[in-house]
Amino acid sequence: MNEIIMTLFNGLSASSIILLTSLGLAITFGLMRVINMAHGEFIMVGAYTTYMIHNIFAAYLPSEIFDLYYILAIPAAFAITFLLGILLEKFVISKLYGREIDSLLATWGISLIFQQAARSIFGSQGVLVQSPSFLSGGLSLGSVVISYNRLFILALVGVCLFLVWFIMYRSNFGAQMRATMQNRAMAQCLGINSRKVDSITFGIGSGLAGIAGCSVALLGSVDSTLGQNYIVNSFMSVVLGGVGKLLGTFISSNIIGFSSIFVENYTSSSIAKAIVLVIVIIFLQKRPQGLFVIRSRALDE
Amino acid sequence: MKKAVKDPKNITFALIAVILVCMPLLYTAGLLKSTMVIFLGKCIAFAIVAIGLDIIWGYTGILSLGHGLYFALGAYGMGMYLKMQATGGRITDFMQVGGLTKLPAIWKPFLSLPASILMIILVPALLAGVIGYFSFKNRIKGVYFSIITQALTWAAYSLFIALSPYTNGNVGITEIQSLVGSVKGKANGGNLMVLFYAALVLLVLIYALSCFLLSTKLGKILIAIQDGENRTYFSGYCVSRYKNFVYILSAVFAAIAGAVFVNFNGSITPTQMTISYSVTMVIWVAVGGRGTLVGAVIGAFLINLCEYNLSSGSLVEIWQYVIGILFTLTVLFFKSGIVGVISEKAAALRRKKKMKEAEA
Repeated sequence: MNEIIMTLFNGLSASSIILLTSLGLAITFGLMRVINMAHGEFIMVGAYTTYMIHNIFAAYLPSEIFDLYYILAIPAAFAITFLLGILLEKFVISKLYGREIDSLLATWGISLIFQQAARSIFGSQGVLVQSPSFLSGGLSLGSVVISYNRLFILALVGVCLFLVWFIMYRSNFGAQMRATMQNRAMAQCLGINSRKVDSITFGIGSGLAGIAGCSVALLGSVDSTLGQNYIVNSFMSVVLGGVGKLLGTFISSNIIGFSSIFVENYTSSSIAKAIVLVIVIIFLQKRPQGLFVIRSRALDE
Repeated sequence: MKKAVKDPKNITFALIAVILVCMPLLYTAGLLKSTMVIFLGKCIAFAIVAIGLDIIWGYTGILSLGHGLYFALGAYGMGMYLKMQATGGRITDFMQVGGLTKLPAIWKPFLSLPASILMIILVPALLAGVIGYFSFKNRIKGVYFSIITQALTWAAYSLFIALSPYTNGNVGITEIQSLVGSVKGKANGGNLMVLFYAALVLLVLIYALSCFLLSTKLGKILIAIQDGENRTYFSGYCVSRYKNFVYILSAVFAAIAGAVFVNFNGSITPTQMTISYSVTMVIWVAVGGRGTLVGAVIGAFLINLCEYNLSSGSLVEIWQYVIGILFTLTVLFFKSGIVGVISEKAAALRRKKKMKEAEA
């Protein structure tokens, strides 16, 4: 019984992390069709932002309010990656709309620069972020201990998901955003500033990566290769879910998360990762558009 | 045939080959260090994989982010044979550490050279064939194919690290000599020359074969696929078959390159299998000039030579910035790379000359 609870919770936790890291991609890749290989590096930037605020609090502020650093780190990480995203969109990606493969390569170049910058500033050794005290420890259910860190990430994912859903489907900006992505020319005719919409949409997608970075900083050491560990799973979950569907990304990250944990029960974690990826690849051969398909009559997508 | 000889791109390649022929001679004359010759040997391997990538990316428009996998498969194949030579066919230390008592069946073919060479070519070809067959038949294209190859490379990398009794995990296969014996040090200069010229001959052969293939109707169809895949289908060509063929071909080139590489490098680690290494190969082709074979060769040599000379000491950090910026700028503004820019300039000059002649 305990083992079942543990497996279920681990699966839920793994899924929530994949979902958090791929939520931003679901927007930049899913809606805008931009392959941002620097997405992983935005996660890294978010993690390092957390680390820096953590250090500032530890060094300059009284220890009573140390725990507040994390509350501050989340909006700060969002703000920094939001700005970086807007800059990236303005100077690189806006020149490559319609050239998907080139946007992939150009952002890879950017990610190399980011990684080296992280190594120059913080060194190649990983750094550790101390969890705030209200997140240390865990919840005991019988003999099972569920760490507060992971519960917190679960809640954070819920909040982010709700906000993204709200912005996309219930706000005026979301309507403009979806209009622009569906039919740019028509949206422009109706007076929507499509350049501005592109820029802010990409910023939001990048900002979500920053929040993801904030949460993965709690899970282990932060180094310049952090982003690379998450990027493959994130891309796979967006592709598996069906490009352009938020619900698809939600379901597919759960599929990938839970199946990795279940397979892990029988073998080592890296073999489990490989097996799950291969299964996803095989599935994509059957349904190249992913789980949820947006129907279209266009020949060349 | 005459046209091919006169083509300035082929002349450039011939020039590069001639320069490479001179290198070991400079070494015997004492003007060049042996490490430099060994490094140039590795560059030859990189040029071979770059040619393969250029055929599928520059000509056909398929971007594979997983060529490191095929490169590493070829390299591991050769490495396993060389390791068996080094241990005399007995089981290796890392297998004993991993708890194996007998030589695993997967290592058996690598006891003999012909079987090893067969494996080096067949395994990547089969893998590429299976992936390509299903992906291209199901019309997975563009970035989706890139993402799938990327995920596959990641999966293979995890597997190679996890199966450490068979592959020695992170450490890889080390302490091996080349096919002709050790190439390190002054005493083995002769071995080095033999190996270097053999690699060079392989590069020239592969370049010539690629040139020939691209000059036939096949080359035209590949370019047609890049320009308009559906139109090519409608013209009555089975695009997926052509795509699959070039994908396998470039995977085999990558594997051959890997096999050459391991001879010069003296070890093979899973690092060569990572996604970032695969993208590095794409960078060579992009900077050199996609869509021209000589561009791929130039890119492979130029970037690696720069890296070799710059990435020592304090310049290491700067080099990473340089390569990142160079790559981004190339993709943004110089889509056809160095060779593209030069040939455009040359064409403009020629036009000017003609105009002047017409005026005069």
